[in-house]
Amino acid sequence: MIDPITFSIIRHRLFRVVDEAVITLKNVSGSAITNEGHDLMVSLYRADGSLLMGGVGFLHHLTSAAEACKSIIRRFRGDIHEGDVFLLNDPYTAALHTSDVYLVAPIHFKKELVAWSACFVHVYDIGATNPGGFCPDAENIYTEGFSSPGLRLVEKGEVNRAIMDTFLNMVRSPDMVALDLNSMIACNNVARKRMRSLIEKYGIETVDETCKTLITQSGEKLRARLRELPDGQWQSRQYLSVKDEIARVELTMTKRNDTLVFDFTGSSEQSRHAINCTKWASLGGLFAPLFPLLCYDITWNEGVIKPITMIAPPGTIVNCNRPAPVSVATVGAIQSVNNAACITIGKMLSASEKYASEATAVWHANHFAVFLFGQNQHHKQAIGILTETFAGAGGARTWADGIEVGGEIPNPISRMANIETIEYTFPIRYLFRRRLKDSGGPGRYRGGVGMELSFVPHDAPDGGMHYVVSGKGAKFPMSDGLAGGYPGSPNAYIWIKNNESKTADGHSHPIRLDAMSGEKQAVDWGVFPLMGNDALYVRWNGGGGYGDPLLRPDEEVCRDVEHGLVSPEFAENVYGVAIDDKTGRLDKKLTDKKRTDLLARRKRKNGGGHAAVTNP
Amino acid sequence: MRLSQTLDLDGTSIVCGHCGHGLCDKDVNWKEKAILNETPMRTLGDPYSTDEQVLLRVFSCPNCGALLDTETAMKDDPFLHDKIFT
Amino acid sequence: MSFVVATDVGGTCTDTVIVEGGKSLVIGKALSTPPDFAGGVMDSIRSAADAMQVDVKTVFDRATLFIHGSTVVDNTLIERKGARTGLITTAGFEDTLLVTRGAYGRWAGLSEEGLKHPVATDRPVPLVPFDLVRGVAERVDYKGAIVRELDEAQVEQAVDYLVDEKQVESIAVALLWSFSNPVHEQRIRSIIKARDDGIHVSISSEVAPAPGEYERTSTTVINAYAGQMVNNYISNLQKLLDERGYRGPVLVMQGYGGLLPAERAAERAVNMLECGPVAGVIGSKFLGDNMGDKDIIAADMGGTTFKVGIIQNGEIEYAREPLIDRFHYSVPKIDVASIGAGGGSLITLEEDTSAPQVGPQSAGANPGPVCYGLGGTQPTVTDVLLLLGYIDPRRFLNGTMPLDVPTTEQVFREKIAAPLGLSVEDAAIGIFRVANAQITDLIHKITVEQGLDPRDFVLHAFGGSCPMLASAFARELRVKRIIVPYTASVNCAFGLARADVMHDYSTAMTIPVPCPAAEVNAIYEPMLKEARETLKEEGFSDDKMSFKWSVGFRYALQVHELITPVRADTPLDGNGMERLINDFEALYENRYGKGSAYRDAGIEMTQFRLSAFGRVERSGFSATSPGDTDPGLALTGQRRVFVDGRDSLIETNVYDFEKLRPGNIIAGPAVIHTPITTIVIQDNQQGQMDGYKNIVIEAT
Repeated sequence: MIDPITFSIIRHRLFRVVDEAVITLKNVSGSAITNEGHDLMVSLYRADGSLLMGGVGFLHHLTSAAEACKSIIRRFRGDIHEGDVFLLNDPYTAALHTSDVYLVAPIHFKKELVAWSACFVHVYDIGATNPGGFCPDAENIYTEGFSSPGLRLVEKGEVNRAIMDTFLNMVRSPDMVALDLNSMIACNNVARKRMRSLIEKYGIETVDETCKTLITQSGEKLRARLRELPDGQWQSRQYLSVKDEIARVELTMTKRNDTLVFDFTGSSEQSRHAINCTKWASLGGLFAPLFPLLCYDITWNEGVIKPITMIAPPGTIVNCNRPAPVSVATVGAIQSVNNAACITIGKMLSASEKYASEATAVWHANHFAVFLFGQNQHHKQAIGILTETFAGAGGARTWADGIEVGGEIPNPISRMANIETIEYTFPIRYLFRRRLKDSGGPGRYRGGVGMELSFVPHDAPDGGMHYVVSGKGAKFPMSDGLAGGYPGSPNAYIWIKNNESKTADGHSHPIRLDAMSGEKQAVDWGVFPLMGNDALYVRWNGGGGYGDPLLRPDEEVCRDVEHGLVSPEFAENVYGVAIDDKTGRLDKKLTDKKRTDLLARRKRKNGGGHAAVTNP
Repeated sequence: MRLSQTLDLDGTSIVCGHCGHGLCDKDVNWKEKAILNETPMRTLGDPYSTDEQVLLRVFSCPNCGALLDTETAMKDDPFLHDKIFT
Repeated sequence: MSFVVATDVGGTCTDTVIVEGGKSLVIGKALSTPPDFAGGVMDSIRSAADAMQVDVKTVFDRATLFIHGSTVVDNTLIERKGARTGLITTAGFEDTLLVTRGAYGRWAGLSEEGLKHPVATDRPVPLVPFDLVRGVAERVDYKGAIVRELDEAQVEQAVDYLVDEKQVESIAVALLWSFSNPVHEQRIRSIIKARDDGIHVSISSEVAPAPGEYERTSTTVINAYAGQMVNNYISNLQKLLDERGYRGPVLVMQGYGGLLPAERAAERAVNMLECGPVAGVIGSKFLGDNMGDKDIIAADMGGTTFKVGIIQNGEIEYAREPLIDRFHYSVPKIDVASIGAGGGSLITLEEDTSAPQVGPQSAGANPGPVCYGLGGTQPTVTDVLLLLGYIDPRRFLNGTMPLDVPTTEQVFREKIAAPLGLSVEDAAIGIFRVANAQITDLIHKITVEQGLDPRDFVLHAFGGSCPMLASAFARELRVKRIIVPYTASVNCAFGLARADVMHDYSTAMTIPVPCPAAEVNAIYEPMLKEARETLKEEGFSDDKMSFKWSVGFRYALQVHELITPVRADTPLDGNGMERLINDFEALYENRYGKGSAYRDAGIEMTQFRLSAFGRVERSGFSATSPGDTDPGLALTGQRRVFVDGRDSLIETNVYDFEKLRPGNIIAGPAVIHTPITTIVIQDNQQGQMDGYKNIVIEAT
């Protein structure tokens, strides 16, 4: 048994190893998606590929990078050397989609393989049919760019130029992609160096013993927590839509004693579109919320993984068969798995007095992957995601509102870029970017609001740009509420063609969607132009609510109206809170009447008692 | 015993956590016994620009009207069934 | 002879350093007296006067320069005691401040535990509530071109609303791209001022003229929020000095590492943030310059935090994303990183694993550590240092505060040692190692962030506790040597006494490289003109002025910007320009790692900075030439103290700092008692007192 003091020091240092490797990754990569979006992950693995220390990055990668290590171990058995770095990005082997490229590296000490480090970034481009990696036009995996089940990119410390050059030959903006790869090589180097000096200081036996203990402890802690929670079964369902297709992710989570089973039986067949998950993606997708929701005070490692089982029938959207397309998985079915798991876990926590405060409605249920591409005002080719997609809305807690534009659970430390950064990189000008009124899911505690934005071409040498949009699920609210809380509003993508609402200065300056002239067309899947007088409008989902909106205190609804987060109409129709037109203050008498009335109608089947039907 | 934030278990019966009204036996999906209001989600107002087929299901206590749960659903999809094993 | 008087008002103590020309400097220390700082300032000066054996009146009579640093702005923010502040911004973008670039404002400044637990997190309550934000129609584009004229009628309405209806006392103005073209912000200020001259106005193009609207807005709001408070503070300070008969200049420390005349400092509240710790780094740089060290880790351990600043190649690093109480701001500020590990940090055992944790909670000054006997019931780092024999219970704070060893032992046994199944001594040793490991990890992280290797550095150990731990943690970092400066306990005030007047100017403009040197020179011309005029107004003659240029660069399509100092003669010529670009590339690879540069996308200049210095005349203090190496005269006895390499407490020599003479060499293990702290020298180390009474510790 290791002494608690050495244990404490080594545990802290292992986290720091990951931390320093993340810093290196961001430094070298220098791209917006890595640096602003924090769309990255670095973790440490044991010699057998099991998770040792998960970093705070995009969490659905922690388990699949473990599988990447294990798969490399199987493929290269007997041929793994000090200084090697392996690349793997095939979703059917371990990865989530081709553009999240894993680089995994063995760590040797005195010639013996003692651990692995693994990292990923969403590379600038992967050579898929559409630029940027998300590929709505893909019909199968073959059109989703470069994919490898495992190759040796660095051999005993030397980059294999032939492989590197071949890879770079297949992607757009090869220099930017080269930087991404360099950043991951440097990241693995730092992890290896720091890990080795840790072992040098404390000895391999002590470090090994600590690692084992860490894993055992995490397992014991999670199991103890599960035993404190009631046994039971909880369900959730998510809808995804692409064009005319509607798919379902069905989840039944069963908790018995100290184990959890996530069963996706009943989910839709795999899709024609690239929203599918491979089984590794689904597994990662359910762990992404599980780590922060159940293991917020537990080290994220293999011990946490053991008590969890997943059932995902082959041929479904959560375990598709090759060659189904999967490039949109991370904002497609994976997110639905995230959301479904968040709700079933939330329901389980709510059933316990002790843990109810840890439950949450869904945060940022629906990323909106919009990649701009084309020539920018500095006459350079630019490809880039709208980093606003990392600015999701927080779900309501059982004790507080969701955080307005508070981010998301599976990627807890993301952020979006400043408008001034974006307008310098792309030839566009924003008309507005603000919080979206009425988007937060109603409830006793309201879901956080999402946002809306719009921009037009500005100084574009080619008159504009194009964009790839992979916006599944605009038809459905996906951020489910908890304990009766309503879902947050859904995403929408609108192409305003030939927007003519110009002022005397020749520019267009509307600051609201309804002030924009020109034909409005919903766009959510494919490649579209933003040329001439076009504008693109995007709005994104609010977080789910918690509890009964009729129980939200009058003054809190009033404050929301005052702060522009809820409209007076919404306050009246959904919360039953009436605001006096003239004074802008609460009309207490009318409110009491409205609320009594809504409650009464609720008791009649289909009596309009969900509080919204009065809307004429 | 607590079943969720809105429901309790009284012996073998599921009861409303607000008024104590008995809904059903613990092995039955209590939603069958609750009052269901089902309306298109879009009636909530503008940002809920959802398809006509997308419904908000609101389950309430037949006795006191307390909100027990909600679901986002397509018309014929079965109710979600949550239960505690005892 | 004349005096330079420097006082630093910190959270716990107010420190004073008095430099008397030709003589060594004098130190004073007193408790701070918030909310009225004046008592602490006077007590502290009195304490220094006592040490000089003169009265306070003499100090003021002979003072020719008064330099000041203070936590007033930090406190105003942390305690939310600022003005009722409104914000005017570009219509359509009213939420920029509140949305904090998404989750950024929610997680920034959280510990690892906080980051892993998003459900329990939230943003801090904003300094400007949403109903005090007003948008006005206007728009400037990325080139600085006006694409929509300012709607002045809307400005009038916004001001009416904020001032009449909402009764704000202060207004921040932050518009998109205003740093490229400030005319709209300036016009808005004129409109506000014409309407009510009593309202404080901060405009972003002056307060923080840099790209990034969220950080610029947040900075401007902080400045507006604390502006009035700082104004009052500084005029009260001037009044106090005036009453004491002091008529000389008053200079105030700025977070960017220079001094400003008090009148100007009053307009730049945000620049006073963290100015005390920053002065500490300046002090460290001065010491380094004096001792020929260019690469320094300046470590300061006080009651609640451990702070680190880095000096690399004689240059001080600026913070990349500074935070105050979890609010972002973006003015140039010297980087000082910190963790919650100080003398008062509480020691706890994790529930299930018994793994010991140090901090971040602190016992503060009251009840303080268990050994103070003021009611503290949870052991702290200070208690551990006492149990390890480093603190002499009879000599604490110069013998003014006897420490209660038996109670400390008993509480420590009960709360920590017994649950760990260890003896008191072994448990204390273990905790000492945990604290050292956390510090080592922090310093490692900071140096790695900047692409540096701690082995190339000298460590300066400041503060009440650092000299006790430094010899142990610095060993693991493998720094070249440790220096415990004579001024270790009043380091910030010492830094103040060594700082110069400095004005920072910057112009944000993006220009691709290569570009003719003349184009860059043209950007600097107006800044230089303004700087010269300002310094002249402040009484500096041309020969006392100096100017440092630095340029922000980045590779196109990448996010990292790097400020590169101009080393060539200015104004630049073609060669100087080339050298600057080469310097940037070398610096970039150094910072971000080999292979991180992406030359093919091209290089851009983004920011042009000018630091204008007015050299403050003051005499240096002189060194005593080293004498005998034998410290025998200072040896006061022996005591059992913890020796790292022996894993136990052993009988160790104890020396009295006051009796040591320059040149004395002390072989480790040994401890040296100073009036305020203990300097620990571990085994296989030796310490030598230099001519300035600094203790230099090296491995043997």
